[in-house]
Amino acid sequence: MLWLCITLPQLPLEALQCEQSERPTVVTVLEGNVRSVVCCNPAAERVGLKPAMNFTTALAILPEVIAMERRLSAEQAALERLATWAYQFSGTVIVGELFLDLQRARSTAVWLEIGASLRLFGGFRKLIEQLEAELRKLSYSYQLGIAPTLEGSALLARTGVRVAITSVEALRARIGSVSVRWLNLDPWIPEQLQTVGVRTVGMLVALPRDGVAKRFGPEVCNYLDRLMGSAADPRPTYRLPPQYHARFEFEAEVHNTEALLFPLRRMLREFVGFLRARDTGVQKFTLRFIHRDAVATVLTIGLSMPDRNSERFLALARERLEHTALAAAPVALELSAEEFAMPTGMHIDMLSGATEQSEELGHTIDRLVARLGEAQVHGVKAVAEHRPENSWATADPQHARPHLDFPDRPLWLLPEPKPIQLSGMPVLTGAERIESGWWDGGDVRRDYFIARTQQGAALWIFKDLNDGSWHLHGFWS
Amino acid sequence: MSASRAEKLEQLARLCRHGHEGPPARVEPSGSANLDAVLPGGGWQAGTVVELMPVSEGIGELQLLMPALAKITQGERHVAMIAPPYIPYAPALLRHGLRLEHFWIIRAQSATDILWSAEQTLRCKSFGAVLAWPQAIRDREVRRLQLAAEAGNSVGFVYRPPSAARESSPAAVRLRLQSDASGQLNIDVVKCRGARAGMTLAVSGWRSGVSQNSEADVAVAPLYQPLSANR
Repeated sequence: MLWLCITLPQLPLEALQCEQSERPTVVTVLEGNVRSVVCCNPAAERVGLKPAMNFTTALAILPEVIAMERRLSAEQAALERLATWAYQFSGTVIVGELFLDLQRARSTAVWLEIGASLRLFGGFRKLIEQLEAELRKLSYSYQLGIAPTLEGSALLARTGVRVAITSVEALRARIGSVSVRWLNLDPWIPEQLQTVGVRTVGMLVALPRDGVAKRFGPEVCNYLDRLMGSAADPRPTYRLPPQYHARFEFEAEVHNTEALLFPLRRMLREFVGFLRARDTGVQKFTLRFIHRDAVATVLTIGLSMPDRNSERFLALARERLEHTALAAAPVALELSAEEFAMPTGMHIDMLSGATEQSEELGHTIDRLVARLGEAQVHGVKAVAEHRPENSWATADPQHARPHLDFPDRPLWLLPEPKPIQLSGMPVLTGAERIESGWWDGGDVRRDYFIARTQQGAALWIFKDLNDGSWHLHGFWS
Repeated sequence: MSASRAEKLEQLARLCRHGHEGPPARVEPSGSANLDAVLPGGGWQAGTVVELMPVSEGIGELQLLMPALAKITQGERHVAMIAPPYIPYAPALLRHGLRLEHFWIIRAQSATDILWSAEQTLRCKSFGAVLAWPQAIRDREVRRLQLAAEAGNSVGFVYRPPSAARESSPAAVRLRLQSDASGQLNIDVVKCRGARAGMTLAVSGWRSGVSQNSEADVAVAPLYQPLSANR
C-alpha cells in the first residue's frame, strides 16, 4: 500500500468560500465561552491574524474583520465531494474525520491508495502532476504527503515535507526528527511531551512503551504503531455512490449571481471528477438552489449529447442562471445527476471530422437553448395536411422526416391569416381551392390567389368562401 | 487590373486578420450568373457578412438565397434563421430543395439575444449560412459577426430595412433589393468588396408562381400593413 494524503489546512474557510477574498476574513469557533480563530484567509494573515488566536484579540487588531462561524456540515459535504472527485485517481479512497479541537481543525485529510494507480497514470510524477493540476482548479489550499502508512502520509502532509516515502524504514528514519506537535494526538499530549523535554518523534519512540502508555494512555502507543507501520490501520473506504448528489452550504445568503459561480465552478469540476471515475458522462443534471423560506429553485440542464466537460457545463448553467429569477438568495446549492451515458465522441479513438462537427453543433445548440429556452430553438417539418396553417409544425431537426410533395407555396407564412381590404383590382393568379377540416371543427373553404402589389411583391391571399372576406396568409419572399 | 488589385488587397486583409493565408474560403454560387459575376469570389463567400435590404417583403428576398441554402443543407451543413419576421414555411422550403434536418429556427427576442445567437451560430463550423433579422445593428456588431463568420467559415446574411442603405456599414456586400411590377427582382449593389458599387442587376427566373404569368398588372397597393408594425 502506498498512501497519498491530501490535507486541507484551510478547509474550515474554503468549505464556506471558494473565491479568494481581498477582505480579511476568519472562521471562528466557540469553545466553552471563548471564541477563537480557526483559520484566516491570506488577507487576514497579512494584518497579523493567526489561527488559534483569541477572537477578542483578533478584533482588537482589526475591528472590521469578517468573521464566519465554523460549520462542520459544510466541511463534511466538501470532504465527501472531494472524496468522490478523488476516485478518478484511485480505486481506494478514505475520508478522514473532522477534528473539533482548534489545533487539529486544520489537518482534515483525504487519502488515496496510489500504489495500484501508478502504472495506469504512467508513473509517479505524472500522477502527482495530474492530480495537483486538477486539485488546484478546485481552489482548495492543500498539502500532500506520500508514505506507506495512513498516519505517516498525513504527518508528512501536515509538516509540508514534499518527499515521497515508499518504505516503512525510510519513513521511520524521516520522521525521527519531526516535532511531536505535528502528531495526530489529543492536543494536551504533545504539549506535555514538550514540557518534559520530549521534542521529537524519535525521542518519543525511544521512551519505554509501558511508561508512555501509563502516562498518556494506551492509544498513544497504538497511534505510534500505526504511524510506523508496525500495526495495521484498517479503516472503512469511501464508496463511490451510484448516483451523484453534492451539496454546498453557504455561510450566509448569497445575493449576487456572480458569487454563485465560484461554488458552482468547483462543484462542476468535482462532478466531472466523479464522471471520470465512473468513466461516463451525463446528458442531464440538476441544480437546486435552496432558500431559507421558499421552495427550492430547480434548474435542469439538458445537453444534446452526453458530455463531461466542466467548462461547458458551467457555461450552460451560467446562461440559465442569468435568465432565471431566484425566489430568494440561496443558502445552499445542490448538484445531482441520476442517469449517466458515455460521451459520444469518446467511443471513437480517432475523431473523424464529422463527429467533431456534430459535437460542436451539439454544444452550440446547448448554449442557445440554455440562454433562450428550449421552445425558441427548433426546426420545422412539413405535415400532410390540406389546411396551410396545419401543413407545417415545429420539430427537432435531427429527427428524420418524410419528404412530402406540396403544390407551390410561399416561403413566409403569417402566424394568423390577416384580414385585408382589397383596394382596386389586384392581379389574381394561381387560384387554388382548399376545402378541409370539417371533421375536426377547423372547417375551411378558401380560394387562394397570388396577388401582386405595385412594388412587385407577391402575396398569398385567400377569399373565405363562407363569408366572402379576404385575408393575407403569406409572402412569396 | 483593378480586380486583381482588389484581390490582392483582400488577400492582404485576410493575412492581417489571421496571420496566415489559411484555406481559401468556401464560395456558394448564388444561382444567378449576373450576381455571381459581381460578388467577391464569384458567389456567396464564406467568412463574409452580406446585408440585404429589401424595400418590402414578398419581392423574392429569400428566394434569392434559396439555391445556395439548399446546396448548403444538401452538403450536410446547417442553416439557421434567427428571429425571422414570419414562419419559414416548411412546404415551400422543401420545394426549394432545402433539407429540413439541417435547418434551424432560433426565435431570439431581444436585440442582444438576436446578435448573440447570430454570432454563436456563425462561429460554429457546422453552420454554412446564418440569416438574421436584427432589430438594429451597429458597425461594431457587424464586425463581430464578420469575425464569427470567418472563424466558422460561414456566410452571414443580415436583413435590414431599406433605409439602412443610406448609412455606411463594414459588411463586405450590401444589396438593396427591389422589384418591379412584373415581379422582376432588381438588386442595387450598394457596396461590394472588390467590385464597383452602384450598379443594378436584374435577377429573374425562379420566382415560382409569379413570373410565368403575364397578365396585365393592376395596382393593389396598399394591400396590407407595413411589416414593421407586425413585429
